[in-house]
Order: sequence, then C-alpha cells, then structure tokens
Amino acid sequence: MSVTARTLGGALIAIVGAGGASDDAAACAAAAIDGRRPQWVVRPRTLDELARVVAIAHDEGLAVVPRGAGHALALGSPPARVDVVLDLCGLDAIVEYNPDDLTVTVQAGVTAGALAAVLHDRRQTLPLDPPGWGSRTLGGIAATAAGGPLRLRYGTMRDLLLGVRFVQADGVVTWGGARVVKSVTGYDVPKLLVGALGTLGILGELTLRLHPLPEAEATCLLPLRSTEIAQDVVARLVDSPLQPSRCELLDAAALAACGLPAAAVGLVVSLGSVEGAVRAQQAMVVAEATRVRARAETMGPGFWRTYDRVLAENGPTVLRLATLATRLAATLDEVRASLGGDAGVTITGCAPLGLLRVALRQDEPAVLAKAIERLRAFVDESDGSVVVERGSTALRTSLDPWGPVPAGPLALMRALKQEFDPRGTLNPGRFVGGL
Amino acid sequence: MSLTPRFVDEMRAIVGKDAVVVSVEGRMTYECDMHTFYKGAPDVVVLPTRTEQVRAIVQACRRANTPIVPRGSGTGLIGGAMAPQGGVMVSMNRMASILEIDYGNRCATVQPGLINLWLTNAVRERGWFFAPDPSSQMVSSIGGNVSTNAGGPHCLKYGITTNHVLGLELVTGRGEVVRVGGKTLDRPGYDLTGVAVGSEGTFALVTAITVRLTHAPEAVKTVLAAFRTVIEASQVVSAAIAAGMTPAAMEMLDEAIIRAINAGTGAGYPEGAGAVLLIELDGPRAEVEVQGERAAAICREHGALSVSVARDEAERALLWKGRKEAAGAVGRLTASYLLQDAVVPRSKLPHIMREIVAIGERYGLLIANVFHAGDGNLHPMICYDDTRPDELEKAKEANEELLRACIALGGSVTGEHGMGMDKAKNLPLQYADADLNFMFRIRGVFDPARLMNPGKLLPTHPACGEGFRPQRPRLPEGTWV
Amino acid sequence: MHCGICLPQCPTYRVLGEEMDSPRGRIYLMRAVAEGRLDVTDTVTEHLDLCLGCRACETACPAGVRFGTLLETARADMARRAQPLRRWRLSDLLLTVFPDPERLDWVFGLLRRYQRWGLQGLVRRSGLLGRFPRLSALDALLDDAPHAETLPEYVPARGRSRGRVGVVTGCVQRHLFGGVNRDTIRLLALAGWDVVVPREQGCCGALELHAGGIDAFRGRAGALAAAFPDDVDWIVTNAAGCGSALRDAGHWLPGSRAARVAARVRDVTELLVDGDLPLAPLPLTVTYHDACHLAHGQKVRAEPRALLRRIPGLTLVELRDSDLCCGSAGIYNVLQPEMADRLLDLKLDRIRETGARIVVAGNPGCLMQIAKGARARNLDLELAHPVTLLARSAFGSSA
Repeated sequence: MSVTARTLGGALIAIVGAGGASDDAAACAAAAIDGRRPQWVVRPRTLDELARVVAIAHDEGLAVVPRGAGHALALGSPPARVDVVLDLCGLDAIVEYNPDDLTVTVQAGVTAGALAAVLHDRRQTLPLDPPGWGSRTLGGIAATAAGGPLRLRYGTMRDLLLGVRFVQADGVVTWGGARVVKSVTGYDVPKLLVGALGTLGILGELTLRLHPLPEAEATCLLPLRSTEIAQDVVARLVDSPLQPSRCELLDAAALAACGLPAAAVGLVVSLGSVEGAVRAQQAMVVAEATRVRARAETMGPGFWRTYDRVLAENGPTVLRLATLATRLAATLDEVRASLGGDAGVTITGCAPLGLLRVALRQDEPAVLAKAIERLRAFVDESDGSVVVERGSTALRTSLDPWGPVPAGPLALMRALKQEFDPRGTLNPGRFVGGL
Repeated sequence: MSLTPRFVDEMRAIVGKDAVVVSVEGRMTYECDMHTFYKGAPDVVVLPTRTEQVRAIVQACRRANTPIVPRGSGTGLIGGAMAPQGGVMVSMNRMASILEIDYGNRCATVQPGLINLWLTNAVRERGWFFAPDPSSQMVSSIGGNVSTNAGGPHCLKYGITTNHVLGLELVTGRGEVVRVGGKTLDRPGYDLTGVAVGSEGTFALVTAITVRLTHAPEAVKTVLAAFRTVIEASQVVSAAIAAGMTPAAMEMLDEAIIRAINAGTGAGYPEGAGAVLLIELDGPRAEVEVQGERAAAICREHGALSVSVARDEAERALLWKGRKEAAGAVGRLTASYLLQDAVVPRSKLPHIMREIVAIGERYGLLIANVFHAGDGNLHPMICYDDTRPDELEKAKEANEELLRACIALGGSVTGEHGMGMDKAKNLPLQYADADLNFMFRIRGVFDPARLMNPGKLLPTHPACGEGFRPQRPRLPEGTWV
Repeated sequence: MHCGICLPQCPTYRVLGEEMDSPRGRIYLMRAVAEGRLDVTDTVTEHLDLCLGCRACETACPAGVRFGTLLETARADMARRAQPLRRWRLSDLLLTVFPDPERLDWVFGLLRRYQRWGLQGLVRRSGLLGRFPRLSALDALLDDAPHAETLPEYVPARGRSRGRVGVVTGCVQRHLFGGVNRDTIRLLALAGWDVVVPREQGCCGALELHAGGIDAFRGRAGALAAAFPDDVDWIVTNAAGCGSALRDAGHWLPGSRAARVAARVRDVTELLVDGDLPLAPLPLTVTYHDACHLAHGQKVRAEPRALLRRIPGLTLVELRDSDLCCGSAGIYNVLQPEMADRLLDLKLDRIRETGARIVVAGNPGCLMQIAKGARARNLDLELAHPVTLLARSAFGSSA
C-alpha cells in the first residue's frame, strides 16, 4: 500500500522531528530547484536520520535532491523530479580531529570555513578553496568536485578524501575508504562519489587528509603583455623546481575586478614554505618576470580573499573549461572570439593545469548556447571539456550543461547508476547524460 | 578446467604462435607472483602487443566462459598475478613502450608492461620523474602499479599511484575498449579512472596509462638516525608529523633488517642499532636545509644514538639501495616469511611497535620490520621455518593477531600491496556487509560475467554474492504497512 | 626468493618477456625438477639452454643468489639424468674442440685452408648455410682465422719490479687475438711486473663448466693451476670468460691448489690500473661494452673505464645498457643463433647511439660477435680489447 503525503509527512516527522521536516509552501518554494518545488524540505541532524529519510523516499518512489549551502544549485541539468529536498547543513559536527595524524572526520554539512577555524589553531589546513569556499559545505565541495587555486599544489577533493560514509539510494548506510592516510583496501569507493553530485549515494561523513599550513607565504603578480607571454612564463615555471602553491591567470577584466593594475593578462603566483625558501623562490619568479620585461609586484596577504570574493560573485553564468596548458593562449583567444567583446567576459584559471573559469554577464540562452557549442568543438581537439558551472535554468535546458561524454565511459556510468539507483531516487536528471 | 585445442588455436590466431605459452613447464613458471604461497597455473599464457589483440582475447574468453588473469612483472606480494581457477593469463611484458612524453603538459602515456623505473630513466635528464616508487620499481610494471594502486617510500609526500594517473585505456570485462580520463582534467561524469585504479584486474585489463610527471625537486637531503629501539624511532615519526613537517619519505628499519641489508649491499647502516630511521626531505633548497636541521634536532631530542646526513648523491643512493632491496635481502634472514602491509594512524606507531614485539615474543617468532613509517604503513615480516610444519600455522596466527591489532587502532588492512588472494579474506575486518556488497556490485558493472581475475580482492562472503540484501535502516512503525 | 629484481637485467627476458626465459623462471624450473614436480623434459632443457650464462642476474640479486652456479649444477645434474643415447649435439663437437689446444690448432688450420681456397665464399654463396643456422653462425664469426704465435716465456719488468705475475693465454684469445696476449705482456712489464707465460697451460675449462661439464672443468682448471709456479703474486687473464671461471674454481675445487690459484686471479685491467703507464695521446672516441663475465662474473667495471680515460685525447662515451649481453656468451652464438642475433641487434643499436667508431671490450667472444654484427650491417666499427688501445698509446702501436 502506498502512503499519502500526509502519512509520509508523519513518517518524516517521526524521523527528524517536527522542526526538521516542512511541507510549508513558502519553505518549499524557497527550496525550489530550477523552478521545481519539492513536497518536503527535510533537514536531518544525524546520519541515521538521513538514511531513514532516503529509505522512505526510495520506497515511495520519491526523488531526493541533496543540498548543502546551495552554492552549486545552478550546476548541472535541471532535475527531472524533485520531491524531497534534503538540507544537509544540519549535519554539522566535526566527528574526530586527529591533529597528530593530520586527519579529520567531519559530517557533510560542516562548512570549509568552520573547519578552517578549528584547524587554524594547530596550524593545519584542508587546502580546498573553490570560489566562496568559506561558506560552502564539505559535502557539497565533494559532490561537485569543486576546486580552487590551491589545487595546483594540493590536488582536489579526489586527492584529500580518505574515507566516506554515504547513504545509498535505498537508505543503506555504506562506508568506503579508510581513516588513515594510506589505504588500498578494496575498491577506491571515495573516488566514485567525488564529483558524482550525489547520484550514487548521499555523502554523510567524510574523512579528510590535512596539510600543515606553510610557515611563510608570499604572493606576487606578473602583469604581462599578452596571453602568449603568459603561456610561455607558465611553461617555464612548470619546467622548474619551483613549487608554487597557486598560479592563477587573470585577464584584464579579472585584474580590474580585483583592483589590480591594468595589463593584458596577469599571473598571480604564491609560494608557501619556510621563510628563506619563500624568499628564494620569489626571487626566481621575479627573475622570470624580468626575462619577459615585466615587473613583478608583491601582493599583500589579503589578495586571495579578494580573489575568492570576486570569483564567488562574478556574473550569472560561469563556464569551466579544461584544456591543455600548452593550448592556453589559443583557448583564450577562442573564448573571446566565441563570446564576443560585449559579453562582459572575465577569465581566470589555474594556468599550469590548463583550467579556465569564464564568468559572463551575458545570460541570453540562445547566444550562449551557440558560443558554448563552438568552444566545445574547439577544446574537443585536445579532449577538453566546457561545463556550465553556473547558468540560468533556461540556458541549462537549452543545452547539456555537461557537454558530451564519449559513448564508452557513458555506458559504464549509466550501468553504475542503473546498478545503484535504478529507481532514480537520487538527484535524478541532473548529472551527465541525464543520470 | 582445461581449454580446448580450438580455443588455443584462436589465441594463436590473435597474438601469433610465438606469443602463446601452452607447455606445462612454461605455464608452471606463471603459477605464482612473489607471494609463492598461492599457486595456480593458467591454462594458457598469451603475450599480446596491441590493444586490439587484448580486446579479441577478452571477447574470446567471454565466449568460452574462461577466466582472464592479467600479469605484469609478477612482483606483487598478494597472490594477484596467478590463476587459481586456470584460464587465460594475459602477460603484458610485450606491451612495454612509452607512447608519448609531453613535458609541456607534465604527462606521459605508456603501455602497461613498461617497468616503472624506466619511465623515470627516460625523463630524468630533462629534470622529471614518475613519483610512485614502490620498492620493486626496478622491475614492477606500471600496469601492475595501477592494478594494485602501488605506493612506495616517497608517497608520503607525493601520494600513491592513483594520485598520478590521469587516464586509462581499458579493455573491460564486457570486452570493450574504453578510454577513461586523459591529459585534460575535470572530465564530466563519474571518476572511472579513480575507481579503476587499484581494482587489481577485476574490472578490466589496462592497455595504456596516462600518468602525471613530476618535476625533480631543487634539493634533496637524506638524514639517517639510529636509535636503541624501534619504539624510540617511532616516537620521532609522530613528533615530526605533529611538528608540521612533510618529509618526502620516512622509512624505518629494525635491527634484523639492518643486519640483512648490510650483509647484502654493504649499505653501511649502523650495526648494533635497534632501529634506523631514514628521513628524506626534498623541495626548495632553503626549505630542505631548514627541515633537515629540524628533523635532525627532533631525532636527537628523542635520544638518537647517531644522526648523519648523506654527503652526496652516491651516499644517498647507497642508503636507498639498501632500503629498496630490503624485501630481497630478507632472504638472508629466513627462507620463508609472511609479509603484512597494514596501516595504523601514525600517532599510534609507538603503540603498535610495542604490540609487534610482544606478539613476536609470544609466538617465539622473529618479526623483522622495514616500513613506511611516515604514513603508518607497516611491513612486519613474520619469519618462520618452513621445514617445521607447526611454524607456518604459528606465523599465520601471529599475522592475524597483528592485523586485528592494527584495525582496532583505526587502521587499514593494506596500505599499498593490495588484496589479491592473500588479503581478500581480511576485507570484512575493515568493511561491513553493506560496504562489501557495494564493492561487489561495482565490480559487476565492469565485469558482469565475473571472469576478470576471479578469486582476487573480494572475499568469499555472503555479502559478495548475488542477491544479498544489506541491512536497511529501521523505519518508523505504524505510519503505513 | 621470488622477487624478480633480476628480470629486467636478463637479456633473454628483455627480448622475449617470458617468465620461463627469465632467471626467476629458470630457477623455478630447476627447483621444480629438483622437487620432482617436473621431469627433465626437452622443454625444460630448452629454457635452460636459452640462458646465456651472463650472470647479469647475480649483479641484480639483492639476496646474493648465485645463479651461474645453480645453472651449472643443474646442467650437470640433467646431463646425468639424460638418456645415454641422446642426440649428438653441436655443442658436444664444440666442447670437444675448443678446450683442447691441439685440436683447436688443427681445426683452425683447416679453417685457414677453407678460407684460403675460396671455399668460404663458395659455401656462403651456396645458400647451404641458410638451412643450418648454427653452422651459419659459426661461419659468420670466422672472418679471419690467424695462426697462434709463440709467446715469450718470461719478460722482466721495466724498471724496478713490483712482483711477479703469470699470464693465462686462453684458447680463443691465443688464436684469434694473439696481439692481445702480447700487449698484455708488454703492458704488464711496463707497469713494473715480471711476467711469466707458462707454455703448457692448456685450457681453463670455462666452456665445459658453463655447459655443466663440472668434472671436465675440474680437470682442466686443476691442470692449468699446476702449470703456474707458486711464486707468482697474481695470475692474469685478459679474457673475461677464463677469468670468471678460474675465480669460481674455489667453489668447485674447495681446498685444492686450484682454489688457492683462483684467489690470485685478476683481470689485466685490475693490475694495470694501479700501474704508472706513460701514455701518449690518441685522439679517439670510443665506447665500452661490459663483457658479462667481467662485469657480472668478476665485478670489474670501473678499472677498464678508468684506464681508457687515462689515455690523453681519448673520449669515452658511455654505452646505454652496456652490461647487457651482446649474444656471444662462449659458444652460445653458435648454439642459439637466433637469440644471439637479436641481442646483437640491440647492442648495435645502442652502439650506434654513441657515435663512437671504436668499441672496446675485455673478452674475445664479445669482440668477435660485435665485429660480426658490424660486418653484417656494414658498420665502420673497430673492435678493440682495452690493452690494444693502451698499447697503442704506450708504445705507438699495438702488437
């Protein structure tokens, strides 16, 4: 026998308490995703509550959309169905912090900022800094595989997630990975869940690898005359023993947005180490600037906060481009050519990794869709990708925000989804290929 | 099982007759990896040279319902590259070329049979290296490293194999060639590369690998400190990590191993010390200098008998030579030993070392230790005399007890060797039924017929069988039925 | 031990990539035979016969496994078990001829006639050799079969004597590279050694040893040891194979006179490297190939290189995989021509990379093998023993 909305409500309230589940019209409207209103907004406080809510939804054939702080709700295709929005911010406990092991276990709703505050006392860090990271939940960062400038040195969630407790589509609580910094026991389940947008399981608890905070840090800006020069400088920095923590490329608009001196393009390089090593490496960066007749400028410690704020705020549309470091200049030219001069384009990115972030004021779907298709054709030559990281519902309806996935891998992805969520309980329709 | 002559002819037609081994004698040499305890000869060994051949082999095996076992250099320590159920062994030693080196994008694409160290040899002059450095790197294949997600001394700083694999070309158990990942990052979709690394051939055969190359550091410093006991030395490890140091490697050797290695290579480790800690720092020169001094200071504070720094590349190489050959040099101590690969949180090292000593005494067995102390990855070698029937049983018991102790401390069954036949049975120590079942089902997606390297990684366990239903959460009563 | 660190160092494994043609695989087969899991089948024999006996695996082995000794023991054991009426093999012929100075003289005489009368050209053109690859291999090695010349029995040291050494003249060396023996003697004298060259020294028995003829080796090594007076400080070899076998005599003849002699065996470069040789410039670019039985068998690598570098004007370019066998390996290139040729190809590729026109090696077999390959490929390469270049530098010409 099926259950009515009323009895479903009773069950949900029995699990999370009256304050944790709401079918209030205003609350549901506020929680709408791409205009689709849920029947319920549920905020579990424990992993067990989370599991039980998912189990009920599964049995009732309801679609569950997990969310954290809501930074990435405009990522991916509009959901096929939305019945229950699961607000995971209530799972906000730091479960276990082992500073001597440089590991921490947190619930998925803990924000990166809240964790940073705790770690800072021990001069440790979880070096994940996607735009707006301070208020983003770690579960959200994991589910979207979001990265920031520090990924150049420390990698992404993929490299830092040691273990994960998650809830499968039918509510079964499952654990993968380990609580120690090194383990190859069984399959690498955490990898499968990072960036999967909750479509194979809803992340409940994460065990993470931490790093010591560098004792000293310095940042300098290299204002450059052209993207070709920027690509050349990046190539030389990469082919050297320098170990920069970050190396971001900023186009003229991004430089202006950050309040930096005007230039065609700028590279901002930061170095973290002991005092002496920072100075020595900075001298090498300055020498590199001099070689291309540019003057390196030392930046204050607040720069990366400004940069983060600019990235988090800029524009209604954000594209994520992945190409090769060796095709950086050509790709930048193509971005400008595709999007035209009046689109209000701001380009930033982790140059040595061939990653660009294109923010646009433009949100006209037809125009954008055409430009994005052109860009996709361009980066396809290097097996790259263009993903709409943020965009209007109309844009993400008029084209696949993920872009094409080759048939071979896509067939395996479909098979995975079919195996673990055949009823489409978890975030249906939002992921690649309509998964 | 045995294969029909027709099937063997089919193999010959695919790879050529010089690339098929059918003789009893030839096949016998493929019956085990370095863990010689587990034996199982394949019915036929094939040595393909191209991806297309590998695909044809897998498809033929599917038609014949025949197990497929991959093999690289056969240096695994877990009973992985052997055929407990017979079938076809696919030896990758003739797919051993470097396909591309792309310095501009910091990567290289290689065939699976390429020997790990040969990649570094090929890029060293240009100032690069391939970071995963299992102690077997002078012989183990990169395909094998991918299969087991191999680690090595320097993964303390640089991460294990998976952190350096950008893309794979796979021939899945479905018999299809699938390219996952690649030179560009952040591909939309599930991280199939990530989950395939470490799957020990139970998903697919790997036919090409795109790996990250790492630039050589500006400076390297190797500090060697001798201690009275392993417990003292392990306190140094915890202290160094807690002090915010990130050495490139931090290796510990105990007294028995020191003796064996010195007898072999003359590495010149201090005789008579109860433990040696090998700490390597690399990075910007100034950083290495400061951290080297700090490491030395921490060693002295913790009662080191001696602290010395390798003066030149030759001395450094010699210190490492001994360490890298430790597993082989143990041959001088004992003919037979069980090798453990468990991990403990590094802050628990002093605790577990005490436990190991106690277990050794309790069972009357020599337990030699050489391991990656910096990340808590233990390699106790439980030595036994295989001419005495009761000793193996005793060693096995000691082994199990030790493993349970590690797990009880929040550790892991294997840090870098993998599961194979040897550790598959231990998987339930670390994972509950639901977790095991999840893994079992992932495998089914890549290899629905379950012909890829059967009997490895996953245990014989109800949760790893068809139709198993893991425990679901308790739902509120009375709202409906 | 089953760690496999030896695998990449094994020439046959490098070529074939097959476990049973690797040191680890061969040991596995030998052990299976010893444990009774396998009979001595033709297949087992084939895989063991494909081993070059280069002992590169011993250099690599961290556990100190003495593969060469294991193999020789296994071959002896298998020869005993083999059926008495087994096929007569080419190896038997070669082993009948090479170690016996008189027979060798006779055969080389025959060969000279074979060449002088134009028979070699005739046979080569006939296509007959194509049907007998082993005979073809033998033929290709023998481009020129010179006389063995008589050497002085005693040469005093130039200047103050540092001591007394005896020189092993070898079998093949004596015939094909007589100049190497004369240069060895001249250089040793120049370096301050009184040199004795016993006339009736015979063969060291190395080839028989490698084939599992342990008793034959014992006999020959014993006789050779007896030919050397007790008062020599060192016994000098200039052929890697002889030196390596003689140094192993201690293992096979424990406690004997031969064992005491074995402890005094040195390669010529080991003695010369300590000497003060007046050397004149030779503006040459050379590369050095490590003969297996020098590098792996006797651990002599640095000395010949150091000596070559001491020649003013000479540039030594390192050879990649310099210690990977060239395929010669005693009589291996005659018995296993196909594998030998594949290894020779690898070697020649590497040599070409160096750009050097002169290849130096401390073993007559390697010199013949690489020279043969160079001829076949029309490469302009000179093959030289280290002492040949040293003599050229020291005396203005080699012998």
